[in-house]
Amino acid sequence: MKEQIVCQTSDIEPGHMMKTTFGKQTILVCRTPDGEFYAFLNQCIHQGAPLDKGMMCGATTAHSKPGDYDYCHHGEIIRCPWHGREFDIKNDGRMLASPDKKIPSFNVRIEDESIIVYK
Amino acid sequence: MGDNKMAIVDTDIHERAQYSDIVDRLDEPFRHYIENCHWMQEKHMPYTQPTVAGVDRADAVLLDGRPAGSDLEFMREQLLDDIGHDIGILTGALDPSPSSMHGWYEMATALASAYNDWQIENWLERDKRLYGSVHIAAQDRDEAIKEIERVGSHPKMIQVLLPIDDIMWGDPYYHPIFEAAEEHNLMIGMHHNEPPVYYGKWPRYFIEWHTLIPTAHMKQITSMMFNGVFEKFPNLGLMMIEGGYTFIPHLMWKMDQQYRDLRHEVPWLTRKPSEIMKDQVRFTTQPAEELTKQEFYSLIEQMGTDEMLCFSTDYPHWDYDSPHRALPRVDETLKHKIFAENARNFYSKLPKAEDK
Repeated sequence: MKEQIVCQTSDIEPGHMMKTTFGKQTILVCRTPDGEFYAFLNQCIHQGAPLDKGMMCGATTAHSKPGDYDYCHHGEIIRCPWHGREFDIKNDGRMLASPDKKIPSFNVRIEDESIIVYK
Repeated sequence: MGDNKMAIVDTDIHERAQYSDIVDRLDEPFRHYIENCHWMQEKHMPYTQPTVAGVDRADAVLLDGRPAGSDLEFMREQLLDDIGHDIGILTGALDPSPSSMHGWYEMATALASAYNDWQIENWLERDKRLYGSVHIAAQDRDEAIKEIERVGSHPKMIQVLLPIDDIMWGDPYYHPIFEAAEEHNLMIGMHHNEPPVYYGKWPRYFIEWHTLIPTAHMKQITSMMFNGVFEKFPNLGLMMIEGGYTFIPHLMWKMDQQYRDLRHEVPWLTRKPSEIMKDQVRFTTQPAEELTKQEFYSLIEQMGTDEMLCFSTDYPHWDYDSPHRALPRVDETLKHKIFAENARNFYSKLPKAEDK
């Protein structure tokens, strides 16, 4: 099993993300507001935009009714810097508009203060 | 990316001027109104950000806070060098958009001249890959013609830019503009402005507006077609910028069918509208509707020609199309046409591939 320390927990505040490398791949480590860490390939599956240039934000949800927005998942959505496609960090990086599509993800565990990514 | 071997002529790049960039090029009293009275062109888009950084790619905003598209060095680094462009065609930003001003045509005319001078000095003459668009204030037709005559012969000016909003450009009043363009070997480039799609108003949602932009492009092609612009100016071409391309076969079929029934109303058309489109109208590909390879080939077959589509990125806007990802993989011959040759053949002032 390939694994690697990619950064320290103190490198990323809750609600933020950071670009780093895992082997030869550029990855994105996200820390959701609840303090959990997640890792994805740092490339949008649509046209290859660098996701670290986007933002972590919330999303309007399917519970919204016409004219009445339901907005939640604060800090749990990656939004692509180009076309704005939304990916759910806590749902394996699935695209909100097409949940059958997802950003490739990596396993993450924390040992001491180190963030370890592994396949 | 920098070792890209694919020839690329990018037919839609938005360079951007801020008022502070062009104010020194304005005569009084126009300079005064901007410098001291903080005049800005009115803009009405009512929506909040469609995406992460407004209408721009979030990674194209400059580190010093200037808006995307306002710095040549950064554009070189992020686009021209990174992708490996052969040619990039500048199409300006929406602001200022002289032909869209609903009054004060004197200011619009002055802005167009200032913008053109700024564009030539800061972009066209600083990067051999970049070619430009002549901005005019077409509402004042005669002043617009003077501007075409003033800068249209610049070797790197290749088209006259007209916005798509509330003026139908096929109206004979504007034909002298087309005559001037043709005389200078300039094509017409049309790009939507605000708010062209919804009976002169904005729809409720950005996604409605953005979905319907092709309808505004169809209106302008139809206007130019049946007002006889293409017959009157056979060497003039029209590039429809940023409307996508899947509507093309529909418009060809629709106009041909109408022509068979109603030709008597427009007897100056001596060719079928679809044939005129094949000869004189071209389309930039962005924002590329996402088709499968099979669907894409089917669409080309429905057009009856593979020479109408010209690749564009729309850099630095949010719906930028990557040359490596936006279109389905097609055979090398078709790819070469779409990514380079169709545009080279359309713009008579662009160097041919063998001139490189």
